[in-house]
Amino acid sequence: MSEQEKIIDIGDGAAIPDPRDKGLFSAWRIALIGTISLLVILPLAKPDPYAKILRFVPDGIWVTFEVTIASISLALIIGLLTGLGRISKNRYINLAASLYVEVVRGIPLLVQLFYIYFALGRIVRVPDIVAAVIAMSFCYGAYMGEVFRAGIKSIDFGQTEASLSLGFNRRQTMAYVILPQAWRTILPPVGNEFIALLKDTSLVSILAVADILRRGREYASESFNYFETYTMIALIYLLITLVLSKLISNMEHRLSHYERR
Amino acid sequence: MNAADPIIRINRINKYFGQFKALDNVSLDVELGEKVVVLGPSGSGKSTLLRAINRLETISSGSIVVDGHDLYAPGENINTIRMELGMVFQSFNLFKHKTVLENLTLAPIKLKKMDKGKVEELAFSLLDKVGIRDRADHYPVQLSGGQQQRVAIARALAMEPKIMLFDEPTSALDPEMIGEVLDVMVTLAREGMTMVVVTHEMGFAREVADQVVFMDDGAIVEMARPDMFFDNPRHSRTKLFLEQIL
Amino acid sequence: MLKKALLTLVALSTLCGSAWAETRIVFATDATWPPMEFVNGQKEIVGFAIDFLKAAGKEAGFTPVFKNTAWDGIFAGLAVGKYDAISSSVSITEERKKAMDFSEPYFTVHQALIVNKASTVKSLADLKGKKVGGQIGTTGYFAIKAADGLVPKSYDEIGLAMEDLNVGRIDAVVCDDPVAANYALDKYKEKLKIAAVLKTDKVESYGFAVKKGNKKILDLLNKGIEAVRAKGIDQELKKKWIGQ
Repeated sequence: MSEQEKIIDIGDGAAIPDPRDKGLFSAWRIALIGTISLLVILPLAKPDPYAKILRFVPDGIWVTFEVTIASISLALIIGLLTGLGRISKNRYINLAASLYVEVVRGIPLLVQLFYIYFALGRIVRVPDIVAAVIAMSFCYGAYMGEVFRAGIKSIDFGQTEASLSLGFNRRQTMAYVILPQAWRTILPPVGNEFIALLKDTSLVSILAVADILRRGREYASESFNYFETYTMIALIYLLITLVLSKLISNMEHRLSHYERR
Repeated sequence: MNAADPIIRINRINKYFGQFKALDNVSLDVELGEKVVVLGPSGSGKSTLLRAINRLETISSGSIVVDGHDLYAPGENINTIRMELGMVFQSFNLFKHKTVLENLTLAPIKLKKMDKGKVEELAFSLLDKVGIRDRADHYPVQLSGGQQQRVAIARALAMEPKIMLFDEPTSALDPEMIGEVLDVMVTLAREGMTMVVVTHEMGFAREVADQVVFMDDGAIVEMARPDMFFDNPRHSRTKLFLEQIL
Repeated sequence: MLKKALLTLVALSTLCGSAWAETRIVFATDATWPPMEFVNGQKEIVGFAIDFLKAAGKEAGFTPVFKNTAWDGIFAGLAVGKYDAISSSVSITEERKKAMDFSEPYFTVHQALIVNKASTVKSLADLKGKKVGGQIGTTGYFAIKAADGLVPKSYDEIGLAMEDLNVGRIDAVVCDDPVAANYALDKYKEKLKIAAVLKTDKVESYGFAVKKGNKKILDLLNKGIEAVRAKGIDQELKKKWIGQ
């Protein structure tokens, strides 16, 4: 690692495993094996209600993925624009981006979800999932903006100067030199945000979006098998985040190729 | 522009950092093909002067004309002017995410819209020249400081600039690597490149310079041919500086 | 000063406790179900069921205490003993009877179908392929799920379903008729209407739920319900809260 490498420590998602950790008994491995075992053994040992629950929630899993992927994509775009806005020399753009970040950071996610969902309802007629995605990406766009800003700022200014001295303008410098490098610095916190977002999509179940959690709650409210239902819901979330964190860690490893001697 | 006009004309420029006066009424002409070496203690404004030539530093007053283009005239595109001005930095500043070859080819491909094959041909010949052809597919982090700086020189040359600016190119290098970088610079000088070099390498100045400029406190104190400058300095501050250095 | 005030408060509350309550029964109630149980402008839990239990308590000798609890999970809380009973417009069903015990019915309900004023829908059959909302775990929602060809959508609170119906995200809501009346004839009377009262084979009634086997509380409740009925208090309350 070069000495200019700066660690930006943002994120409250799951811990991303270190790809160099080849130990048989890494925390990640134990968690994964345990989760899969429970997801297999419980429904086999006690089909009623565990197998029933597993059959009830799959469409909820898809909804959770849909909301997560759509939200993260939108949040990345909003985040990039916000991050660029936050470092912009244009006063008004800078002010607008900063204001957005301040407002979003100051309001709990759940409150924002409610607000945007019901406020949107009064303005435009959009389906519930779309409303949920807009609300999630609006919130996460601000966090992503801060990640992008920190990532861009972490790139040595010498890179910018070298690029400008060759005749690139600021926009080209950002596109060809800064962002490709910042992406590498940004990826771990973005990965964390991605996993955090996936978990936070459980909040959209409040908005009557039929995600994993809501499907589980519907099952539990009819069967009264609260303990069993939430056990399965928790295991499904855990399995998804474990697999995701591994994927992100692999991607990070691939992207860091130019830092290996 | 007449053929006789200097390729760089710096006319009475001033530069303030807040209250601090970094450049004090500096004027300097550089002729086509001329090699100017700027010396001076740290904080004397020599790097600021060099960086003003391609507007990495903006000046507070005065004018700079490069190859007939006024850097501050409305309607002038600084980016096209910068294509004429290659720059080499103290800390190399190679693009870390690009291989050596890509470092050389990025700007010509994107800015001059040159054909990739042609650019690579040019890039390889430049890497030959600086002696790092075998490292073309390495990443900067895999190279030594001296190698990185040679690549940085080749990168600047890949844009085929009229002028090369060197900002203390050997100051960040381990002593044993300084020679290999200076060798490349001497070769470049022999080929007739117009060069403005900020450095502490007196040997290089003596060997290569047409003009030596000595700066102190943001102002040019003395300007002379190297033999005159080193053997017979006129100004007391120059004498003091040379005594401390040599 | 503060300490003194606190002490007085504690003393008072103990006094009150011993003087008033022969038995305190803690009821969980999801107070989002007007006019049966809801939170009024003074942040008090009020409604038909609240008044009914207060009256029943006076007759049978217990003091009802109400604990506002989210509907989703209200039964789980009863099972683990977080409160003694549920008074939350719980319809008595065979499924629920397996999980808990019910008092005598205290109110008879029907499921009402609410739609936008402009809608021509007359029954669930007219809503094939359309989104229909109800509160999670309610008989209204079960009715939607049981009907053919609807897209059921469950909400945490009936009010959220009404709001989504109001802005057009869903096409209809099914809920208990007193609640339906409250929304369609009062809060959203410009926008919504009751399209139909769903026909069912059996009478659907509210009962107070207690943990399975809690006979002591159940007997007290039944005694109170009987007395309130005998004195005609329930009819007065219906007039007061529902106006019928």
